[in-house]
Amino acid sequence: MGIYEHLKHFGGKPVVNWESGDFLENPSKMAYRISISWEENDADAKWTDKFSQFLSEPNVGEVTAIIVGPWEGAMDSSGASESAVEALVAAHGKLPNLQALFVGEILAEEAEISWIQQSDLSALFNAYPLLETFYARGGNGLNLGSPTHALLKTLVVQSGGLDAEVVREVLGASLPALEHLELWLGDSSYGATTTVDDLGPLLSGALFPGLKYLGLCDAEISDEIAAAIATAPILGQIEVLDLSLGTLGDDGALALISAPSLGKLRHLDIHHHYVTPEVVERLLALPISVDATGPETAHDDEDRYVAVSE
Amino acid sequence: MSSYVIVGNPGGNRIAFFQEALERRSLPPARVAAWADIIEGRARLRDIVRAGDCVRIESPGRDFEVERLLLAAGASETPSGEGLSPEEARSLAFERGRIWFPRQWYLGFQCVLRQIEQQLSECPAHRLTNGLSDIAVMFDKAQTHERLRSAGVSVPEAFTNVRSFADLTARLQQAGWGRVFVKLAHGSSASGVAALRTDGRRMQATTTVEIVRAGDELRLYNSRRLRTYNDPREIAELIDALCRHGVHVERWLPKAAFGDAGFDLRVVTIGGRARHTVVRQSHSPMTNLHLLNTRGDLEAVKERMGSSAWDAAIMTCERAAACFPASLHAGVDLCVTPSFRHHAVLEVNAFGDLLPRVLHDGMDTYEAEIRAFANREEL
Repeated sequence: MGIYEHLKHFGGKPVVNWESGDFLENPSKMAYRISISWEENDADAKWTDKFSQFLSEPNVGEVTAIIVGPWEGAMDSSGASESAVEALVAAHGKLPNLQALFVGEILAEEAEISWIQQSDLSALFNAYPLLETFYARGGNGLNLGSPTHALLKTLVVQSGGLDAEVVREVLGASLPALEHLELWLGDSSYGATTTVDDLGPLLSGALFPGLKYLGLCDAEISDEIAAAIATAPILGQIEVLDLSLGTLGDDGALALISAPSLGKLRHLDIHHHYVTPEVVERLLALPISVDATGPETAHDDEDRYVAVSE
Repeated sequence: MSSYVIVGNPGGNRIAFFQEALERRSLPPARVAAWADIIEGRARLRDIVRAGDCVRIESPGRDFEVERLLLAAGASETPSGEGLSPEEARSLAFERGRIWFPRQWYLGFQCVLRQIEQQLSECPAHRLTNGLSDIAVMFDKAQTHERLRSAGVSVPEAFTNVRSFADLTARLQQAGWGRVFVKLAHGSSASGVAALRTDGRRMQATTTVEIVRAGDELRLYNSRRLRTYNDPREIAELIDALCRHGVHVERWLPKAAFGDAGFDLRVVTIGGRARHTVVRQSHSPMTNLHLLNTRGDLEAVKERMGSSAWDAAIMTCERAAACFPASLHAGVDLCVTPSFRHHAVLEVNAFGDLLPRVLHDGMDTYEAEIRAFANREEL
């Protein structure tokens, strides 16, 4: 499995692929994807050159949303995001209105998620004080630092195997405006090392007082996470719990069903799960909306796998 | 009204579908010469082929007796100790999915194709739907690739004559390639294919091949279940084993994705024109339909590509088919890259026209072939 399709909207705006020579017709109303295609890569094109051309558009200052697609070498796993990130940081003066940034929207056919080479993205948070939405895909070499950012509302880290250090960095961040946190923890054979204990400070509800959406996705430890959340203060705060793409089974589902209170929870997403039909029925009977699509079957617990890893 | 002679394996669905197509066109049923009978000399084409007949060569596959006989025919051309003796080949026990000796099989197949050529030369005037030398080239992935490349048809870059895993890794490093397909030079469909990727530190192989150790012998099996190997020692063992049989190594191109899966196209050309087309969707590097992948929506893919990219892709398939001018039909596998604007030919299949229930202009592949051949000048 993997992610095969591009986002059609990002930061609330329709996405267009920007190619050299394209005018920015409605810069504040669009999200621009800038990538180096397989063919451009073969012709030795560089992401930073294409980005420079983008920056030379006269109305680039109005742009609010950028998606960094494959950079050179991304599809051969030979190039990391480093130079693209440096160029983005250096461009902050020309992009004073940037509110949404996605570093590494690379599809499974281009490079599976565990073959994306990320880098230290921490400088981006200081460079773009108006940022509200930040996405990164790929956990290899990924570093977020522990950012301090007054306006960031949405933080999404998609990975096939996230190092616990990255999770600890995020949990150490100062993000008073954060409403949507989504971490794809991934598979231990691809570098996932996060334990439920690592998530303790998050589940205590003290870190991000405005948090409404909590996603702990694509996890090998979905059952343990669900059991911990069922009795954790965070449940008194969030409206959406997203445990999708992981390995949730009956143990985790039953823990949620017997939670003393679902607090403000309105929606539970467990799509791609290992919950038996009888227990799914009981989940659907909860007074919240539940997405329990994509049931998987496994002979035993060892046989369960997360949706996105390779 | 000419009638058909098929060299094929009786009882298989290819022949059944072809006979049905003849019936739909109100033509008499084809007379079938079984591969096994031809190879063994129990049947001779000159006793079967009549003046004005159309002779159609069908796949020798999916029949283990024929497999044995082709291996036996290849024994004389295989250095002793490297393969099976004729006696060993003839007494092979069937094992599901076992990859025996593809190189020896291919040498045997070539030898039998020459035998057929010889027999046809003794027959009254007839027409052949697919040229024997074309078939022989199409069953050699490296030769096919080279033929396409030198004709200017877009193909993935390839390494020639990869000898071993060590050889391959050195060349990968030198070229700066992170992903390649290693394919048995003489495999069909997804037989003996490994998709290999490396970032310079770790390596992974996704493959249809299962390695079974029996004493100090390594046995290779094709399976429908994809396996992933992450241990470099296991990968080396796998690649070395494939290399011993002869491989074609080419760059693993990223595929365009549509409907939440990557896809490629099987385009059957008939009489030089691209006709029946199937979108093969997959979440794995192997899109071959028998690996339980699904068929996608061709019209939607066409629309997504836009007419100029689509027309260019079709033209490429037809140019690939034109590299095999003596063949009425060819099954061209085409990869469209994620930009949807570029493409490359991955394979050309001699017997790639088995697409049950896929219609073009209201006809299946076989009926379209019969019609095209009837309208055609002498090849």
